[in-house]
Amino acid sequence: MKTKITSDQLDEFIICHKCHTLHKKAFISNGSKAVCRHCKSVLYHRDDALIDKGLALSITGLILFILANVFPLIRVDILGQEQVITILSMISRLLESGYYIVALFVVYLVFIFPIMIFLIYVTLFFLLKTAQKEKLVQDLLILLSKILLWNMSDIFLISILVSLVKLMSMLEIHIGLSFWTLTLFVIIDLYMTRSIHIGELWKIKEEIYREQK
Amino acid sequence: MKSWKEEELIRCPICEAVTIDQGKKNICRRCNSKIYQHQKFQTEKSWAFLITAIIFYIPANLYPMLVIKQFGHEEGSTILGGVIVLWEMGSYPVALIILFASVFVPLLKFLLLLYLLISVKYSLGNDSKVDKHTLYYITEVIGPWSMIDVFVVAILAGLIHLSSMEMVAGTASTAFALSVFFTIMAASSFDSRLIKEKR
Ligand SMILES: [Zn+2]
Ligand SMILES: [Zn+2]
Repeated sequence: MKTKITSDQLDEFIICHKCHTLHKKAFISNGSKAVCRHCKSVLYHRDDALIDKGLALSITGLILFILANVFPLIRVDILGQEQVITILSMISRLLESGYYIVALFVVYLVFIFPIMIFLIYVTLFFLLKTAQKEKLVQDLLILLSKILLWNMSDIFLISILVSLVKLMSMLEIHIGLSFWTLTLFVIIDLYMTRSIHIGELWKIKEEIYREQK
Repeated sequence: MKSWKEEELIRCPICEAVTIDQGKKNICRRCNSKIYQHQKFQTEKSWAFLITAIIFYIPANLYPMLVIKQFGHEEGSTILGGVIVLWEMGSYPVALIILFASVFVPLLKFLLLLYLLISVKYSLGNDSKVDKHTLYYITEVIGPWSMIDVFVVAILAGLIHLSSMEMVAGTASTAFALSVFFTIMAASSFDSRLIKEKR
């Protein structure tokens, strides 16, 4: 592309997050997505019901995550004694044995960041729906983009499966209720990070508050 | 009105807007975030994090990741030791997952970052801009996978702690967690604007 782009045209362009190829945005119909001409990754979507969908999904996700912390993830029988584990009991056990650094990582990666991300999502979609507090929406969007990378609930779920296989040969194990709610939470979490790009939320935000002015 | 060439445009890592590269004092036109403000340290910060990560990776492999205490008998297993035990038990898929997450992913990340850091300073053959951006994207995406073994240790230690049988985290778990952390920091402090088309 040899053409020059003027300052007011910048919003008509998008740079691919994966290969950084510059594209001029094209009009797409509701429910479809635009892909990069070079690497085929998704550039943007068009979903006219994004805010309502986002609000419903984030509230569901938040409830599932809370439930995932209330009940045991795994139960085992060792010599007639039953042992259970929850995300928080796992962290307190690491602290008791003096592994403060590991405990700090685990508490942030599988507890604080996931819950923060979903609290931010709920607040964001609620504020966007009611068109309130533009400054807060901006701050939340900036914070969200900084912590999204540090949410590792999906990797944690894989780790639970690996642990189950490791224990299977020596003990009798039972999957707890929280394992299922965590699985559903991870599915919603993955769907949201794939289908809701931060750049699209900024665009929607600009449209909503421009109408208001 | 001012106009810009394609090479002068960058993607804001915070809000994803197309914004103008103003060199050392960059502020995104949409979200007002300070982006890529490394001043005179262009690659040094990323180098420092990467070297720290590589240093922590050594004890992470030498010391035990998990210690099993059973009837007064203590036994530690390292990352590779754990993989071998799983393999001998016949749990091939899990052995492969751990091998991929704890050995292959960290080493691949080190190599990719080394390549990127060297290639933005010295010309290495005719490597294209899009390919390097894709490699950078890969280093960011595969990062979290290497935490699997640390989480597994946390789960096992949290689940099994009886007087007759106990599992506790080993020294390597701290080293490994720190190594993963510094690799992610090295990747995120890498200035992707340094990736430019060679002419
Ligand atoms: Zn692309
Ligand atoms: Zn921005």
